[in-house]
Amino acid sequence: MKRRTDIDGARGPFVSTGHGLSRRHFLRAAGVALSLPMLESMQPVFGRGPAAALPGSDGVPRRMLAVCNNLGLLPDNFFPKASGRDYAPSPYLEILRDLRQDFTVFSGVSHPDVDGGHPADNCFLTAAPHPGRGGFRNTISLDQYIAERIGHLTRFPSLNLGVNVEQGARSLSWTSSGVMIPCEEKPSEVFAQLFMQGSPAERAQQVRSLDVGRSILDSLSDQARGLQRRVNGADRDRLDQYFTSVRELEQRMQMSKEWESKPKPAVKAPVPLDPASPKEYMEKVRLMYDLARLAFETDSTRSIALLLDSVNSPAIDVEGTKITGGYHDLSHHGRSTDKLAQLRAIDEWHMRLIAGLATGLKSVREGDSNLLDRTMILYGSNLGNANTHVTTNLPTLLVGGGFRHGQHLGFDRERNYPLPNLFVSMLQRMGLETDRFASSTGTFRGLENA
Amino acid sequence: MTQFHRRRWSGRGLHPGCILGVLVFLGLGVSARATASPALQPFLTRHCVECHDAETRKGGLDLTAAVAAPETTAGIDRWVGIHDRVASGEMPPPKKKSRPTAGESRGFTNALAKVLLNTERQRIAREGRATQRRMNRHEYEQTVRDLLFLPALEVKGFLPEDGVVGGFNKVGAGLDVSHVHLGRYLSAAEFAVRSAMAPRVEAPKRTVQRFHAWDQGEFFGLIPLDGPKERRTFPLVGLKLMTNVMATLKRDAEPDADRRQREAMGVVVSTYEPTEIRFGGFRAPMTGRYRLRASGYSFWMGPKFTQVSKGRRSEPVTLYADSDPRILRRLGSFDFGVEPTVCELEVDLLAGETIRPDAARLHRSRPPDHRNPLTEADGMPGVAFQWLEVEGPIFEQWPPAGHQALFGALPIKDRPKAEGVSRRRQRPAGVAVESAEPAIDAERLLRSFLGRAYRGTVAEADVARFVTLVKGSMATGSDFTEAMIAGYTAVLSSPSFLYIDEPKPGKLADGALAERLSFFLWNAAPDAELRALAAKGRLQKPDVLRAQTERLLDDPRSRQFIDAFLDYWLDLRGIAATAPDEQLYPDYQLDDLLVESMATETQVFFGELIRRNLGITNLVDSEFAMLNERLARHYGIEGVDGVGFRRVPLRRERVRGGLLTQASVLKVTANGTTTSPVKRGAWVMSRIIGRPPPPAPPSVPAVEPDIRGATTIREQLAKHRTQESCNACHRLIDPAGFALENFDVMGGWRTRYRASGGDPVKGIGHNGNFFHFGLGPDVDASGELPDGRTFQDVRELKQLLVSDREQLARNLVRQLVVYATGAPVGFADRPEIEEILRANRRGDFPVRSLIHGVVQSDLFRNK
Repeated sequence: MKRRTDIDGARGPFVSTGHGLSRRHFLRAAGVALSLPMLESMQPVFGRGPAAALPGSDGVPRRMLAVCNNLGLLPDNFFPKASGRDYAPSPYLEILRDLRQDFTVFSGVSHPDVDGGHPADNCFLTAAPHPGRGGFRNTISLDQYIAERIGHLTRFPSLNLGVNVEQGARSLSWTSSGVMIPCEEKPSEVFAQLFMQGSPAERAQQVRSLDVGRSILDSLSDQARGLQRRVNGADRDRLDQYFTSVRELEQRMQMSKEWESKPKPAVKAPVPLDPASPKEYMEKVRLMYDLARLAFETDSTRSIALLLDSVNSPAIDVEGTKITGGYHDLSHHGRSTDKLAQLRAIDEWHMRLIAGLATGLKSVREGDSNLLDRTMILYGSNLGNANTHVTTNLPTLLVGGGFRHGQHLGFDRERNYPLPNLFVSMLQRMGLETDRFASSTGTFRGLENA
Repeated sequence: MTQFHRRRWSGRGLHPGCILGVLVFLGLGVSARATASPALQPFLTRHCVECHDAETRKGGLDLTAAVAAPETTAGIDRWVGIHDRVASGEMPPPKKKSRPTAGESRGFTNALAKVLLNTERQRIAREGRATQRRMNRHEYEQTVRDLLFLPALEVKGFLPEDGVVGGFNKVGAGLDVSHVHLGRYLSAAEFAVRSAMAPRVEAPKRTVQRFHAWDQGEFFGLIPLDGPKERRTFPLVGLKLMTNVMATLKRDAEPDADRRQREAMGVVVSTYEPTEIRFGGFRAPMTGRYRLRASGYSFWMGPKFTQVSKGRRSEPVTLYADSDPRILRRLGSFDFGVEPTVCELEVDLLAGETIRPDAARLHRSRPPDHRNPLTEADGMPGVAFQWLEVEGPIFEQWPPAGHQALFGALPIKDRPKAEGVSRRRQRPAGVAVESAEPAIDAERLLRSFLGRAYRGTVAEADVARFVTLVKGSMATGSDFTEAMIAGYTAVLSSPSFLYIDEPKPGKLADGALAERLSFFLWNAAPDAELRALAAKGRLQKPDVLRAQTERLLDDPRSRQFIDAFLDYWLDLRGIAATAPDEQLYPDYQLDDLLVESMATETQVFFGELIRRNLGITNLVDSEFAMLNERLARHYGIEGVDGVGFRRVPLRRERVRGGLLTQASVLKVTANGTTTSPVKRGAWVMSRIIGRPPPPAPPSVPAVEPDIRGATTIREQLAKHRTQESCNACHRLIDPAGFALENFDVMGGWRTRYRASGGDPVKGIGHNGNFFHFGLGPDVDASGELPDGRTFQDVRELKQLLVSDREQLARNLVRQLVVYATGAPVGFADRPEIEEILRANRRGDFPVRSLIHGVVQSDLFRNK
């Protein structure tokens, strides 16, 4: 088996890995610890140094956190009435008033042809059309697009996080072949992955496991090649998929091994305690935001996706308000004033946590700037109105990241402006040379770099 | 499009479809550019392009653009749609002035059908109907369970959700593999192999242990529970309430054997926080099979919780396996009678699990009201738990069968923990296997394992491949055990294991036929008998194939087919996806017994149709239902006692009977708050009738039911349907949904909608709270089918649907064909399906016979 000559001789082992973030969840339940690492968060690198990977880069590290709350926000309380720089803040945006110059609010935007109600959260970062239809196939998500290109610069090409995500059922993160990458739910385990050093014996064991894994893969690719020869047409495509998977996994194992020899960054923060109940939704969100900040601060990754699976959440605890109904059930509020009031209380906490995250990032200096100016926080939803399941007029915020903010970019509520254009603008801001993402038609009109 | 044509162009020379593609691409086409067949051109130009052009694009169809031609696999679906809509007379639309004559339309559809048939048959001849596929995650789990003799093994959670094509998780195009999958297969396989190995050298003793409720902290400790008294446990001796024990929280005396036998702990609530009773003294010492015996009885608790008398009815009890943090697996249920009753279950437990019983009919006492809906003037029902007896772990042999399948009879010894490695990174404790001649043993063991794992004959190259892996692994520092685990992990992740082997178009080889049959009717790989028949070349004989189909259907494992098939066909996998709204449906809160019973009803009902070979019309209307007490009460049917399901005859004027009115179906087609005739109607059309409606246009919001009760959904839809563009589809979609408006989000009967305002209804819910909900407008369940026949309610609708039994049978056969063959039903498959129907027309298309028809058909027996 020919090994990846493509990274040999490159500038060095920039490549990263994570061992299976969500795997241990299982293991604990089963009382067993596996020795093979989980490898989906490992990304390939094709021998590019940082400069080669970032042709449009100004040399400044840029990052992205994308958050999808799959029940959205009450539109009437979220969207400002007037567009432009002088818009009067809506009730929700009032909560972000101290950050007014640090974010842009969008209205009249959506992913073209992304319909189907709840399943559309699968497409929040991919914009692949018609997720509810039979035969639907997803495409690469924004976070993975970034990870594939600059993932080698950090230990973790990307982090894929979730709050109250139904096991194995939902994720924002998808590979280029349209396969879901399950997300990590436990803050303590993300923390351990990011910052906790294994003992030398553990690291040796890990390296050994990776070697065994690679020799297993050798035997598999050998067999796959033999089978490929026997078949034609679509059958052959299926086996090609397998063969490609073996190769990609092999590359990831190699990179993983290289990172094993490097120490992890040290942070002062304590290991987070995992909230036991899905009712502690808001606390979980806050912990994930904290982890995102720490990961960016230590440059452990540049790309994070976070799914807030509100659909899968029970009646959640919210400070100051008694929530009586499951989150999903509340969202079908049928205009009941009681339910609307409860939803508003929940939404307002979402806004406060966003404000907390942005303020926290802003307080961290990096070079001649601060972390917020180098971190794009995309906050939004796949639903414009969870009550009716519409996937148009998505509530969308872009905070930080080095844009000329402080405005409301409002578009036609009937004929929406394509949201993928925002992804193109974000990718360019990351320093990636691209003029297209999914169904985009260009960069986002009216959004300029600072 | 262009890419597609380019590939064809270079790969296969001039293909009729691509000349046009290129012409179109260059902008040189004629008015209807979409097909190369000259015979189709005039009809399309004359009758279709007026609406289906670039400007109007009715229904999203533009025949002047570069639509893939019917001669291409890419274009065929669209053209089948065009064929069917012209053939049914739906297109061109009736209101159009210059409609084609019947002869013209027939000429067009015949010509098109010929092209379509030809195209599909060429593809089938070239590649076969089905595309090679891997096992889905359910099949993988079941197959590994069988292979390693681990019936409770759970590995599907490791694997990503499978794609759905043609409605099922069985079609090659939906069963992708990526590096994510592969990484997960390695983990799942390693986990399975380690789980199969003996955890220690010494055989575990099979013991019988009795755990008295009085001795369990999770019972005794709840006697003084704060808060409402009804949440507490009550110490009993027979029917005597031990008030002295309640006062002192101590045993009053050392019990003799007789007293011990009569001690029990009573509850008047169902198990729920904080009354979480369990037999925590028992924790399964290892994964394996156990026999559980529970003893208890029902009693009657006085209104002041000071005295107890004899129970008045039997009470259902559910047992759950419980591991921290409150991960519950339902094990089974039974009824405790008014006299002490011993019930037995044989179950597979995972290491560390304990047992949590639940008196499931009793209410759950939730704040703020803490009221008991079962209370009467002189008290309330209760359930007394005496003891749980556990026999096990039961192993037929030691080391366990799975270990022997992996390591034969090689000597084993206990293995110390790795030093310098934290607990969470420790490999599982397991034995080390010792081999004096590793190379020889590795080859022998792998050859034998591959013989079972690879469902065909084992190639020498494969044995060599994995032996090399094991040897290499040992050469670089692994011991024999770890090297073998790596080898087995590779086998269970390898393409020859994962993919169902159907390499060549045409007739399936014997082994492939055995696989198809087994993955169809057991959702798992073939057993020894099937493989032996295949090896002897006998399975191809129609009578042998038929006998094997009978055998598989009669085997309890056929339940795996029923559950997996219904999970997708009827969406039963979504049974718990929504919960009834707390405000509108307070009376359904926290009723696990009801939800658990719903899916079971549909599964045993479909099982009954297969077992007794009952006719297809039963899908829509049956003279019986499969019920237990909880569901019977839900349906307002009397005289059914206990948790067990049994066949219950229904009266002539029945509303229930058939799938449409089963609570499971009514629940998965609602959202927990409201029902929609559109959603339910579309579901009935696509799942039961087999005429799926076109998808909703993307930018139109769903009609939002108004739960304040001001307008009904029918009125809102009527407004929507005044627009002809909306009505064109809704007249096809909604009718069946209207008939089902008499059923609420949990499948309960209603004649009025619930509304947040409206006439109040009051009561106490299963969750112990006062409830009141409003009754809004009356339900109008009448409607008109697209063909003009009208109905007043669901009973009349069922009679109309039953009259087209052949279409019901056609739909079921199509669903079965997709599921069984792993390929969507194509245009060229239609004659074969009609043939199956023709052979079963007599006797109301009995379901088991239809399954036989599918198995004997060329669709099933060819790739």
